[in-house]
Amino acid sequence: MKTYDVLIIGSGAAGGMAAWVLARGGADCLLLEAGPLFDYEKQRVMKAVYELPYRGFNRPGRFPHITQASEFDANLWADEKQNPYSYPPGDPFYWVRIRAVGGKTLRWGRASWRLSDYEFKGKDHDGYGENWPISLADLAPYYDRVEPMFRVSGRNEGLPQLPDGKLIVDESRDSLSVQRFIAACKKRNIPTTKPRRATGTLASSYNLLLPEALESGNLTITPNAVVREITLDPKTGLANGAAFVDRRSKREYQVSAKIVVLAASTLESTRILLNSKSPRFPTGLANSSGVLGHFLVDQFYVKNTVVAVVPEARGGRGGRTLMGGGGYVPRFRNLDRKEKDYIRGWAWDFGSGFTPPAKYLPLYGEELQKQLADLAGTGFALTTMGEALARKENHVRIHPTLKDEWGIPCLHITQKYGDNEFRMAQDAMETAVELCREAGFEILAQHAQMVPPGESIHELGTCRMGHNPKTSVLNAWNQAHDVKNLFVVDGSCFVSAGVQNPTLTILALSMRASEYILDQKKKGLL
Amino acid sequence: MRRRRVLQAITAFPAFRAPAQYLSPGQAAEETPKLRETAPDGVAQPKTRFLRPDQLAAFRNLAEILVPKGPDRPSAVEAGAVEFLDFLLSQSSPERQALFKNGLDVLNNQSQKRFGKPFAQLTSAEAKPLLEPLTRPWTYHPPQDPQERFLREAKEDLLLATANSKPFADAMSKRSRAAAGLGAYWLPFD
Ligand SMILES: Cc1cc2nc3c(=O)[nH]c(=O)nc-3n(C[C@H](O)[C@H](O)[C@H](O)COP(=O)(O)OP(=O)(O)OC[C@H]3O[C@@H](n4cnc5c(N)ncnc54)[C@H](O)[C@@H]3O)c2cc1C
Repeated sequence: MKTYDVLIIGSGAAGGMAAWVLARGGADCLLLEAGPLFDYEKQRVMKAVYELPYRGFNRPGRFPHITQASEFDANLWADEKQNPYSYPPGDPFYWVRIRAVGGKTLRWGRASWRLSDYEFKGKDHDGYGENWPISLADLAPYYDRVEPMFRVSGRNEGLPQLPDGKLIVDESRDSLSVQRFIAACKKRNIPTTKPRRATGTLASSYNLLLPEALESGNLTITPNAVVREITLDPKTGLANGAAFVDRRSKREYQVSAKIVVLAASTLESTRILLNSKSPRFPTGLANSSGVLGHFLVDQFYVKNTVVAVVPEARGGRGGRTLMGGGGYVPRFRNLDRKEKDYIRGWAWDFGSGFTPPAKYLPLYGEELQKQLADLAGTGFALTTMGEALARKENHVRIHPTLKDEWGIPCLHITQKYGDNEFRMAQDAMETAVELCREAGFEILAQHAQMVPPGESIHELGTCRMGHNPKTSVLNAWNQAHDVKNLFVVDGSCFVSAGVQNPTLTILALSMRASEYILDQKKKGLL
Repeated sequence: MRRRRVLQAITAFPAFRAPAQYLSPGQAAEETPKLRETAPDGVAQPKTRFLRPDQLAAFRNLAEILVPKGPDRPSAVEAGAVEFLDFLLSQSSPERQALFKNGLDVLNNQSQKRFGKPFAQLTSAEAKPLLEPLTRPWTYHPPQDPQERFLREAKEDLLLATANSKPFADAMSKRSRAAAGLGAYWLPFD
C-alpha cells in the first residue's frame, strides 16, 4: 500500500480546510471521515410534519443531549447509543456531533466573528490563564481569506474587541424596534452591530472546500472510516499513519502517511490522541506535558435571557417597518477598565419579529389563542453567550470500560461552570432587562439559567497551543511539540474561548497550519 | 423538463390514475416516477393503548379546554392530539409516563371531590379552579409541584401535537401555503 504525503482525519471545517490547502498545494492527501457521504439530492425528501412517525416530536429518548435535533434531521446527528460518552452524575455535558462528510458544518448557524487580542492576549489584559502563542496580527491574513470564501456578510464597526473583516457589507435598514434597542444601547455606550454570517445555500466544507480539493486530483476521501488511533514509528518517534475501522463492516485497516493532520473536532481529536498510547507516550500521543484533555472551555449560553413584547406591534400592527431583523452586541465589559465582580465578558444575539411562545403566557384555551393572535410578530429576545474560563479541572479522559460500537474507548467529560460565569449571566440578564425597558418593550420573561456545558456546540480546548512544551500540547503552528509531523487543527487547540462563535477561527487556524506544512515540506523540514 | 412535467402530473391527480393517463408504456419503462404516499394517520383511526379509559376521557376534556376549536383552526381533539400523545407516552420515559398518569388521576380525584363527577364531565368554567396552576407565571425550571408541572407539559404537548397535525395544516394552507409545516426530511443511511 502506498504512503500518503498527508493523512487528514475529519472532514468538517478544520479537515475540509486542511484538504483544500494541502491538496491544492500539491500534497497527496487521504481524508478519513467516520461518517457517510450524504447525497444532498437523494438523501432528502420534502415531507409535511404530520407525515413523520412522531409528528415532529422525535422518538422519545433518541437524543437526550441534542436539543437541536428535530425529527426532520434526526438521521443526520450522531447516534448516542453507538457513540456513547459519560459525565459525572449531576453534571451533564451535552455533546452535539454530526458524523458525516462535512461534519457539523452541514448544520451550523454560520455566525462568523474574529477573535481579538482581548482573547489571544487575555492574560496580558487581566492576568488570568494563558496567552495564545499567536496574536490577531498572525491570524488576520487568514481571516482575510476565509471570510470571502464563506461569503460572510456583516458590518465593520472598528471595534478592537470585534476586529473588522472582509465582509459583504450588510446595508439593510434596521426595523424600528431594532433601532429603539440600538438607541437604548447607545445611551450607555454599548456597541451594536449587524449579524455577521456566512451566506449561500449551504456554507459547508461539503460544498465550499472539498469539491475544489478533489478537483486538484490530490485528494482521496474515504468515508465510513472510524479512526481508532494514530500510530507511531518507534524508531523515529514520528507518526506514521492511523488504524481505522470500517463503520459498516467493522473491518480493521492500517494506513500509512508521512504527516498526520488531526481534525476530528475538539473532543474527538483529543479522544483519538488519548487512545493512541505507546511506550513512549503511555498517557496519550504527544502528551509529555500531561495537559492533553485539560482546559476544556466553551461559551455558556443563556437562551432567551429576556423575551419581550413591542407593545406598538400588538394586534397585527407590527409590519416590516416596526418589527423584524436583529443584531449583535459584542463584549463590552472589562475592556478599558475592570468592571463588575467578574473578569472577561459576554455578548448578545438579539432578534425581533417572532411570536412569543405559548409557554411564556400564563393562560390557556380561548384566552391563550386570543393573546397569541394579539402578540403575533411582536417578540423581541436576546440570547447571552459568555466566556467560560479555562480551568484545568474541566477535562476529558478515557473511560475505563465504556466503548463505542466499534470497540473504541469513549470519553468521560467533566465541565462545570463557576462563579465567574454565574455572575456574568446574572449581569447579562439584568442589563438586558434594563435596556429592553428603556427601549419601551414589555418584559414577558427573564432568566439567567445557562444551558448545560456543551449545548452551545462551541466546545474548545483540551489540546491547547502554547510556546511552552511543559504547559501546552501544540506550538504556534498547531504542530505537536512532541511529534513534529503531527498537527491538530480543530478547536481543541484553543487556549481560551472568548465569546465569539469559533468556526471562523478554526478555519483560519487550519488554513494557516496547512500552509505552514506545505512550506516546511518545501524546505525539507517535514 | 419532461420529467418535471410528469411529476407535476402525478402529484396533481390520484397516483393510480396518473401513469395510465400521462405515461405511455414506453415512457413508464424509462421514467422512475415518485408515487404519492399517505401516512397511516390519514387513512386509519389510531388505537389508544397507554392511558386507562378514565384517564383518556379526562385527557380528552383537558385537551378540549386547553386547545379549543377556533374560527379557522381545529381543536386538539379534532387534531387527534389526544390519541397521538397517548401513543407518544407509551414510548416515553417511566418518569414522564407517571407524570401524565398521576396528573390525570389527580384531576379526576379533585373533580370527584368538588363536583361529584369525573373531570371528563366538567365544563370549562367548572374546570377553572383545577387548572389554576396554569395561570402562574412562567419559570425557567419546571415547577416543583408535580400537578403544575403536568399541566404545563400537557399544555405544551397538546399545542404542538395540534399544530403539527394534518387537520391543522389543512386549515392553515387555506390561509397561506407556507404554513403547512413542510420540511426537508433526511432519509436514514446504512
Ligand atoms: C446547530 C449548530 C449550529 C452551529 N452554529 C454555529 C455558528 O453559528 N457559528 C460557529 O462558529 N459555529 C457554529 N457551530 C459549530 C460549528 O459547526 C463547529 O465549530 C465546526 O463545525 C467545527 O469544525 P470541526 O472540523 O472542528 O468539527 P466538525 O465539523 O464536527 O467535523 C469533524 C469531523 O470529524 C469526523 N470524525 C470524528 N471522529 C472521527 C474519527 N474517529 N475518525 C474519523 N473521522 C472522525 C466527524 O465525523 C466530523 O465529520 C454550530 C454547530 C451546530 C451543530
